[in-house]
Amino acid sequence: MPGRRVLITGIASYLGTELARILEEDPAVEYVAGVDTRKPRALLAGTELIDVDIRDPELLTRIPDTGVDTVVHNQIVRRPGAGMSARRAHDINVIGSLQLLAACGRTPTLRAIVVRGSAGIYGAEPAAPEFFTEDMARLYPLRTRFQRDVAEIENLFGTFARRHDEVACAMLRYQPSIGPTGSTQIPQYLSLPVVPTYLGFDPRIQVIHERDALDALVAAVRRPVRGPVNVAAEGTIGLTRMIRIAGRPTLPIPSPLFGSATGAAKRLGLLDFSPDFQRLLRYGRGVDTSRLVREVGFRAHFTTVSAAEDYAAARNTAEAAA
Amino acid sequence: MTAPRPDAANGPLPIGPLVSFLRALRGGLDGGQGLAGALADSALALPRDARESLDAAARRLAGGYEEDDWGYDEEFADAALPFLEFMYDRWWRVHAEGVERVPAHGHALLVANHAGIMPWDGTMMGVALMREHPLPRVPRFMVLDWAFDLPFVSVAMRKLGGVPASPFNAIRLLEAGELVAVFPEGIKGAGKAYRDRYRVQRFGRGGFIEIALRTGAPIVPVAVVGSEEIHPKIGESGLLARLTGAPYFPITPTFPLLGPLGVVPLPSRWRIEFCEPLDLSGLTPADTADRALVLELSEHVRDLIQRKVHENLVKRKHAFA
Repeated sequence: MPGRRVLITGIASYLGTELARILEEDPAVEYVAGVDTRKPRALLAGTELIDVDIRDPELLTRIPDTGVDTVVHNQIVRRPGAGMSARRAHDINVIGSLQLLAACGRTPTLRAIVVRGSAGIYGAEPAAPEFFTEDMARLYPLRTRFQRDVAEIENLFGTFARRHDEVACAMLRYQPSIGPTGSTQIPQYLSLPVVPTYLGFDPRIQVIHERDALDALVAAVRRPVRGPVNVAAEGTIGLTRMIRIAGRPTLPIPSPLFGSATGAAKRLGLLDFSPDFQRLLRYGRGVDTSRLVREVGFRAHFTTVSAAEDYAAARNTAEAAA
Repeated sequence: MTAPRPDAANGPLPIGPLVSFLRALRGGLDGGQGLAGALADSALALPRDARESLDAAARRLAGGYEEDDWGYDEEFADAALPFLEFMYDRWWRVHAEGVERVPAHGHALLVANHAGIMPWDGTMMGVALMREHPLPRVPRFMVLDWAFDLPFVSVAMRKLGGVPASPFNAIRLLEAGELVAVFPEGIKGAGKAYRDRYRVQRFGRGGFIEIALRTGAPIVPVAVVGSEEIHPKIGESGLLARLTGAPYFPITPTFPLLGPLGVVPLPSRWRIEFCEPLDLSGLTPADTADRALVLELSEHVRDLIQRKVHENLVKRKHAFA
């Protein structure tokens, strides 16, 4: 029986590179390809690198040529910043997805698509259900640019899935990740010298440990499912408690001033508080993970609390060593 | 919020230990310790009881406390209980009846009338259940969404067991076997004018009946008398409502005239009656499709509560005596 043939977009990211590494080792996988214009974070000997921008029509011939049966879409920009304008992020997110799907449509061997999407589509609302299930994506208006991007991406893949019944298209809605590698928004936020919070708010935050984020992606590649699936650790944590576990002092700012105060942090090059992230810090968000457990067969190793503790322990060791 | 200890209240201030405590604290901070660590170490200089509460504070500062998935913080709720009990016993002199009718375990839906602008009625029902139920249990109470957009109120509500009023939340809690309190009057109840204070408003669209049918939870109607007088609303300010983003901005004899003092509720006398659970046996989740039935049941519960409110008004005699 021939093995699986998998293509990964955004292979230069932490998750992309690590996923390729695991699939290279997997005897059930005979071929791995990666699309990215950046260099992978580690040497990938068994992976064919396709050095093409995801928005480039060249993909229309390159992807069908690989004869892959699975595409992992891992190139969704979660926040602008560091040389990435909001406009460019939108372009990569929407036009990139569009171009990728056009190429997928010309790949007759394709059987599965796994998208590393975002739970950001639910938004962060004061009166929200405490645990969003997958059917609650449209309870509230799409308030931020990123939310609209995610919604558009989900639409594009949903339409594709309806037209191509032979392709199982899984939309993984990831909660923000946290972990020792720490390049994502929450670890960066927690490593600020003083952590700004909304005065008088202590939202429930739910994260996923970066290792679980990777394992969930692997599980979804191994067992293709259809439709949206929430990906998160068990349980939630109050933001204040998370910051205390991280051992940082907080700086409570009254909500009318929060925007301008964090704007200053952005100008100082500390951290870009995207509108999404600001709403998350004020209202929080929790998702229900029963579909992930039941259908994908994946249960996160870390809970939200233990993920925060693991991050704090790793960072404290790193800081002690420095 | 804790009652002063008799020995501490009568004796002179323990200046000696306090000074050595502050010295040790500064030493610890200067030595590069975090606040939590320095607090814990310097607490050794204090008497035992003070040391214990400081240890607890230091532990909380290091994130060493538990919240459940809904944000309920048992330690916080325990710490707030003496204050809430003071409000229950002394301020409002609450008389609770029929507490034993609330099921001791398993899911149940408490349905109550709502008045008094701030969600005090929910917290007082909670104290009644904690104090007078043979098997005390903490109810989760549904709180109007805009409270979760208010600083401090949102935190306190959540830590005491409040949950944003959404049918999804109620269903999830009931399926987990919790006791859930809902106020179907919603904003119409909280914001009713003083002259309408004893008139129970329309019960939304009967959503709570659907929730009960879907989860099979028994409904326990609850009549609360007294919350109507704590903030007598005599007017509204549309302009201030728009400015603060609140759904309405109440004007009472004390608020906003007295500023922050105006949020101190008036000491009316309260009665809370927990009624016989409603018999919904024979009905199934499929019956939620029958709109007429849902509205009829909802109206029945409203009538019952209205009747009980009147009965308890008579029994209470005078509002403030």
